[in-house]
Amino acid sequence: MNFGKHLKNGIITENPVFRMLLGMCPTLAVTTAAINGVGMGLATTVVLIGSNVVISLVKDLIPSKIRIPAFIVVIASFVTMVGMLMKAYVPELDKSLGLFIPLIVVNCIILARAESFASKNNVIDSLADGLGMGLGFTLALTILGAIRELFGAGSIFGVSLMGSSFQPALIMILPPGAFLTLGLLLALMNKMSQRA
Amino acid sequence: MREVLKLAGVLFIITALAAVILGFTNIATAGKIEEQQELENLLARQEALSIAKDFEKVDSKELNETLKTTEFGIITEVYSGNKDNEVVGYTIKSTPSGYGGDIGVITGISLEGKVTGIKIVSHQETPGLGANATDPEFQDRYKDKTIEQPLDVVKTAPQNDNEIEAITGATITSDAVTVGVNTSIELYNKLFK
Repeated sequence: MNFGKHLKNGIITENPVFRMLLGMCPTLAVTTAAINGVGMGLATTVVLIGSNVVISLVKDLIPSKIRIPAFIVVIASFVTMVGMLMKAYVPELDKSLGLFIPLIVVNCIILARAESFASKNNVIDSLADGLGMGLGFTLALTILGAIRELFGAGSIFGVSLMGSSFQPALIMILPPGAFLTLGLLLALMNKMSQRA
Repeated sequence: MREVLKLAGVLFIITALAAVILGFTNIATAGKIEEQQELENLLARQEALSIAKDFEKVDSKELNETLKTTEFGIITEVYSGNKDNEVVGYTIKSTPSGYGGDIGVITGISLEGKVTGIKIVSHQETPGLGANATDPEFQDRYKDKTIEQPLDVVKTAPQNDNEIEAITGATITSDAVTVGVNTSIELYNKLFK
């Protein structure tokens, strides 16, 4: 039952993007299309699960004074592995996400979960937390990406939806559009949770 | 002092383990990654010079010397395109400086003296503006262009055979790509005509 609770926490209650406002940089930068949101979200989820599990496994072996560099090494190793695997097997996606794959290392969601959860809980719970937070991140990025792609390019996941007479709002796939969409979504989330 | 040694020791063990694991991952994926790269390059050459069946890298002393000059500094590699064991054209890769960084442009030139096509293989241009350089609609503008005179970028519909219409709102990108193509044409005229 704990597993489900942690999952729901990561996806809804403490969604890293919409509730905790963590990992804003990749959120704003890569969501120019829905597929980029999914790709980045899943890559981050793999790293989150990996780093949460490993850190939870070795938490008693790492002296507290050097825990931050130790966490970073673990996280960076997983990101490097994910990067290599993506370059080898999904090169198109790797190209679209570009610089932001290596930047997953400094995505504060991962270090935050390592420090506040994985280093203090058992492996199964840490796995659930990593999965939940990762899925929450992926969900947020996909929604953001889909909205920006729909209004900025007239399609979702590359499927043209708005007809040929639709004039895309270019601003949506540029940085200002990212901030606008995110701001409006946050307002919507706040409104929805107020009523609950 | 002892505590510092212990901390250093633990960090050493962690980083050493990480290095070993990454080393293995590298070995496992390096081959596939190189394959993907080669495939991508081959497809790009194919698109730029569709009349050719296979490609061979040009590695002559003459070429290497020419590429060292500042005039041809942005050219990175040249392949000859062959069909039935005969050379039918060349694909020349250049890296002109665009708006957000270098743009990788492969220019195909046939022995008949025309640009057969271009392919943008890498860039850091703005999405929605300069990034539209990778659209077939833009790249097609270079098809069948003459190599007798340098190509010119114009903002309205082209009036002459050597004019290319720029991407709306992305003049710098359009200029950069054309510089790459023009330099490739110059190299072809100098060495391979």
